[in-house]
Amino acid sequence: MRRLVDARGSYCPGPLTELIKTYRNAELGDEIELLATDPAAKSDVSAWAKKSGNELVELKDEQGYFKIVVKVVRKGR
Amino acid sequence: MTPKRVVVVGGGTGGTILANKMVSLLRSETSEGKAEVHLFADSTEHVFSPGNLDIAFRGMVPASFRRREAALLNRRVVLHETAVNRIDLMNRTILYDSKVLNYDYLVLATGSVARPDVIEGLKEASHNFHTGQEDARKTWEALSRFSKGKLVVLTNIPHKCPPSPVEAVFLVEELMRERGLRDKVEIYYATPYTRAYPAPAIADVVEPLMEKRGIRLYNMFNTDYVDTKLRKVYSIEGEELEFDMLITVPPHRGADIVFRSEIGDAEGWIPTDRETMRYSNSDDVYVVGDATNIPISKSGVVAHLEAIVAAENITSDYFGTGKVYCYTGRINCPLELGGNRAVFVSATYEKPPTRQKPSEMKYLMKRTFASIYWEMLKGRLDPLFDLYFGKPYRVRVVEH
Ligand SMILES: Cc1cc2nc3c(=O)[nH]c(=O)nc-3n(C[C@H](O)[C@H](O)[C@H](O)COP(=O)(O)OP(=O)(O)OC[C@H]3O[C@@H](n4cnc5c(N)ncnc54)[C@H](O)[C@@H]3O)c2cc1C
Repeated sequence: MRRLVDARGSYCPGPLTELIKTYRNAELGDEIELLATDPAAKSDVSAWAKKSGNELVELKDEQGYFKIVVKVVRKGR
Repeated sequence: MTPKRVVVVGGGTGGTILANKMVSLLRSETSEGKAEVHLFADSTEHVFSPGNLDIAFRGMVPASFRRREAALLNRRVVLHETAVNRIDLMNRTILYDSKVLNYDYLVLATGSVARPDVIEGLKEASHNFHTGQEDARKTWEALSRFSKGKLVVLTNIPHKCPPSPVEAVFLVEELMRERGLRDKVEIYYATPYTRAYPAPAIADVVEPLMEKRGIRLYNMFNTDYVDTKLRKVYSIEGEELEFDMLITVPPHRGADIVFRSEIGDAEGWIPTDRETMRYSNSDDVYVVGDATNIPISKSGVVAHLEAIVAAENITSDYFGTGKVYCYTGRINCPLELGGNRAVFVSATYEKPPTRQKPSEMKYLMKRTFASIYWEMLKGRLDPLFDLYFGKPYRVRVVEH
């Protein structure tokens, strides 16, 4: 299942909050598509995906925003 | 003619400001009996939540941060001191005390709830200052007994007031230093974000200060569960942290009524247009404050500004002016850093927060806020805020 998260215009607390909220409710194998305008989103999401063991599938500059896709391959306990 | 009825659910920051603003915008209509504004508050008392920090970390008295809700409302607002049981959008009614009330306009200002129970072990093992004044008081009492060991301040998302956990850790550190216990207490700050504060410009100020005060930062730490026997907290990223005292900002959820009425998402946030404050695509239901699903900070400032926008849009619809008020996404949250210093986190939907120098002036502004809050609810300070910050909305005109 692909879950769309539109966090454009969010800087505080920012797109990572929206991503993690969705991640917590997602199933293994789901993809989360995050749209963001916050310039910090790209490096934040990449760093988090790496640390949490999830997969960064796509990181793309669209017109005026970024599209970031993360595949859920690991959840907590 | 039956009067048109505006019904507001929730007597917190957003609901109180909105009800007062509504009767002022519909002044002649309410005095001529053409319109009514009703407010439902499930508590007779209104709590100034930022005071929880003072109760938990400075030992201040809870009663000084409470007022009677009735005393904060314009007398033309019809106050119901009771909880709404259910909202029925299909029939445009609300249900309370086995009664039914119709509405022409409905505003949901039901806030958010701190829920330590949604993470295994968290409720049992932690002290909370987001779950009410009583728990904040207990946090102070536990801190008063704490004299050595590992103290962890743990943030979970989503939560209201993004600065509050950072403020908590700075105030705790200051407290331990003042008590001469600093060398016996290790202080940790664990956060889900990649840095100490989500906005980089603010983290640039916060992180060096944490280092200077010996606060150890664990970033990208999203709580998985707490082992109450081992006294350890585990993250979904695979780390663990041992604690002797755990202070947490728990994950938040929408109010019960949102789940009961099936009007929100899985976590109870209500779908809301980020500019007009309208619920989904409806033109008679509005949502303000913490209750919305808008990815913006859940704060009193946002609840205040959204309440103004919603009240203007209801008035505009009522008179058929064709004007649509669009919220700019302005936020302006104080962040206290200990040592009588603070910064303000300010942004809009278009502009991220910028870097600032911590100052005593900003700290004093934050302290002053506690005393002007009660006047602010009545709307008396809005002209001053408008002068200083500009209007929190843009106006579009829609052709009929
Ligand atoms: C420790 C702490 C520090 C904070 N510091 C700041 C700060 O410095 N600056 C800032 O801007 N914000 C701050 N906040 C956040 C701020 O308090 C909230 O974001 C703000 O109160 C949100 O307003 P609201 O109207 O959406 O919700 P609330 O003020 O929470 O009001 C919601 C109300 O609705 C009621 N309700 C719910 N369901 C029903 C029902 N079925 N029937 C009737 N009533 C119902 C609730 O009981 C509650 O009274 C802080 C919060 C905390 C906890």
